[in-house]
Amino acid sequence: MAQGSMASRDGLVRFAADRGELLGIVVRGYLGMLPTLGLYRFWMVTGKRRFYWSHTEIDGDALEYTGNARQLLIGFLLAVVLFLPVYGLFFFLSTQAPEFVLAGYGVLGVILWFLIGYAIYRTRDFKLSRTLWRGIRFDQKGSAMGYALRRFGWSVLMVLTAGLIYPFMAGNLWSYRYRNTWFGDRQFGFTGSWKTIAGPYYAIYGAATAISMAAGADLIVRKDYVMVKDSLIPNWPIWLAGTALFFLIYFGVYFYRAREISRMFSSIVIGDCAVTVVVRGRDMFAQFMLYSAALSGAMTTFITLFGIIIAGILAPILAKGGTPHTADLARVVQGSVLNFIVLLLGYLALLATFAILAEVVLGFGYWKLVARNATITGIDSLKSVRAGPEDQSLVGEGIASALNLGAY
Amino acid sequence: MAASPDFLARYADGEVAEMRDVICHLEGAGPTALLTITDMASRKAVANWPLDAVFPAHGRRNELRFGASGRSSGARVVVADRGEILRARDLLPGLTARQKRERFNQGKFIGLSTAALGAVVLGYLYGVPLLAGEIVNFVPPTMEKQLGDTVAAQMQKALSQNGGFQVCDPDPNSVANLAINRFANAALKGTGTPFAADVTVIRTSIPNAFALPGGKAFYFSGLLDHTQTADEFAGVLAHEMGHVVHRDGMQQLISTASTGLLIGFILGDMTGLSVAGTLGTTLVDTRFSRDAERNADRFAVETATKLKFQPIGLANLLERVAADDKFSEAMAFLSTHPLTIERRAALEALRPSDDTALQPAFTDSEWQAIKSMCGSPAGSSKSVAPGTTIDAVPAPSPDLNPSGPSDNERQRDKSAARS
Repeated sequence: MAQGSMASRDGLVRFAADRGELLGIVVRGYLGMLPTLGLYRFWMVTGKRRFYWSHTEIDGDALEYTGNARQLLIGFLLAVVLFLPVYGLFFFLSTQAPEFVLAGYGVLGVILWFLIGYAIYRTRDFKLSRTLWRGIRFDQKGSAMGYALRRFGWSVLMVLTAGLIYPFMAGNLWSYRYRNTWFGDRQFGFTGSWKTIAGPYYAIYGAATAISMAAGADLIVRKDYVMVKDSLIPNWPIWLAGTALFFLIYFGVYFYRAREISRMFSSIVIGDCAVTVVVRGRDMFAQFMLYSAALSGAMTTFITLFGIIIAGILAPILAKGGTPHTADLARVVQGSVLNFIVLLLGYLALLATFAILAEVVLGFGYWKLVARNATITGIDSLKSVRAGPEDQSLVGEGIASALNLGAY
Repeated sequence: MAASPDFLARYADGEVAEMRDVICHLEGAGPTALLTITDMASRKAVANWPLDAVFPAHGRRNELRFGASGRSSGARVVVADRGEILRARDLLPGLTARQKRERFNQGKFIGLSTAALGAVVLGYLYGVPLLAGEIVNFVPPTMEKQLGDTVAAQMQKALSQNGGFQVCDPDPNSVANLAINRFANAALKGTGTPFAADVTVIRTSIPNAFALPGGKAFYFSGLLDHTQTADEFAGVLAHEMGHVVHRDGMQQLISTASTGLLIGFILGDMTGLSVAGTLGTTLVDTRFSRDAERNADRFAVETATKLKFQPIGLANLLERVAADDKFSEAMAFLSTHPLTIERRAALEALRPSDDTALQPAFTDSEWQAIKSMCGSPAGSSKSVAPGTTIDAVPAPSPDLNPSGPSDNERQRDKSAARS
């Protein structure tokens, strides 16, 4: 309001949160899913969102997530009703002639792929319209159907052009998402285009293509094969090229992703203010290394535990001089309901551990990386934003829940 | 006024995107009390919230955040300092009570929805086998027949990739084929089934036999190699015809489809593609088909009684195959079939006490023709690769895999057979 304070002041984004707290939320969430036959997942998702939102401060004021689990549950129930005909169709197809079944599954796969785009947009809408900052709600306008159609069309082009079209697709979809994003009565904008990421994308794409083509051409022209045992295999140049390609893609991915995130997020504007995000590739890589370490730790623990249990079962048989057999293990599992439940719980624990690690290490790390490296220039211009019209008509994420999407 | 009962906070009015530092204090007492919010800078009152309109909002742990109903939905008071929070809670005891009430209501809601879901699951576990039996009556026999043809075609394709799908004796009027189909149709006679038997013996090393919806049944040469007497062969055929009469393939298809739906609901993955979903579906469906196997065994014994041959041959053959195949025993808990030992016990219990008037189901020459129809060696020395009796093909009612009925069920079978 006060024109004097409109001088370009930067708003910092702070994310001061503790991984332990998030770990508590997800562990409690998965445990809660046991007695509630899985229903607790809606509360877990809500808890996670409250965690991320409430610990993210923009210019000193935290975000607030105003959604609740009940909305998610109701949305899920609606989606189930919506899915029943699709499910019936699946069933009907499975009773038909083989050629027809294949074609039918193809069509359903296409429908599902389309619906995923729809679900992504609806999820975004749900989250934004339940995000409050300084008393003002965000919102997502535009049409989920329109977004799904665009995304679908682009993905067809992606296949046809072997991925060459990607920067155009990314530019277009980011633009559609952000041009339809609102903070109160102020519309977001997106200044980026395909050019924003064309450089790094085509650099990696080109390098990978050049290596493969050169190695392939070399093989065709020089026919450089060696005899190993009884079969003829290509000589070392092709293996060298393969290794180079692997490292290019393996490391390139992080640095590319860091560029893409930085440049795309930095193309977002909200009236007179602009977002700047600078994420470094090595930080992305470090996150992934941390995740790999955590994953191998968890795997080792599981394998050790499993080994101890198997050894415990088989030891008495070996002690008696018998030959252990898989049938003995099955007998133990079948032996009592308790053993079976323990096995089932072990299996669920394994699944939950992977999901928890992905959330606590990767999800948290990504959020932190983006939030802590974000700045909003000219933030005082937002002081004149007024609340938009009320829009609480959205029931839930619906299809997104049913399709098992929605990470945060 | 008591010593500083006020507290400091940040305030957003929900109209403009601005937060200001405010001082909140309580005016009046009882139900008409008002929370007055005063701007620290201008010293002007910016809002008055009735105490009973104040509701808690979700913030981080060391923060108190609330709004007021009847005001702009985004209007918030945020208290961040620990001392201020304590003072605010003192001043607004209703807020803490409301928070507790909300938590209680959430708990109640979770409990209720879990109970509702639990009821659905229980109803499902006990209802679907019954329901599938009912629904199947609404499936026109022609559709079931067509489904069987489809599965047969799919199976043919699957087997062709693994070295061929060869019908052992393509001549429908050969001694062997005539005998087999005469027997199978005799088994179906009088059961009121709309289907005609169509049994094919095919050449593959997998020791298995199964029925498809609509009357089609397959007997693999791998199993024929293990089959030593005409009555063993007849027992298996009668068992398969039991599946045809009970329309088990169709029932299983219906229950699998609804199991997928239920598991998908619980795991929140309606596409049913996840690993957990698949495992869950298998575990639940195992329950259904074990019942179906028991009933097919019973049908085999009834057929044996009707056609006067020895029903225990089925059990002998089952044991012979199972002995060669430890692996299937190991997998038994995931398998659809009751354990061999238990099946023998059930068959023994069902068989009529006097077997003096019995005669083989096939004449010697018929049995010789059947035994040699695949041109395989007479002996059954052929070893069985591990896991082969677990279905290699997408057949709705696979067979001859071990796993078991409960004791009282066997008891019931026994008394049923005696009466």
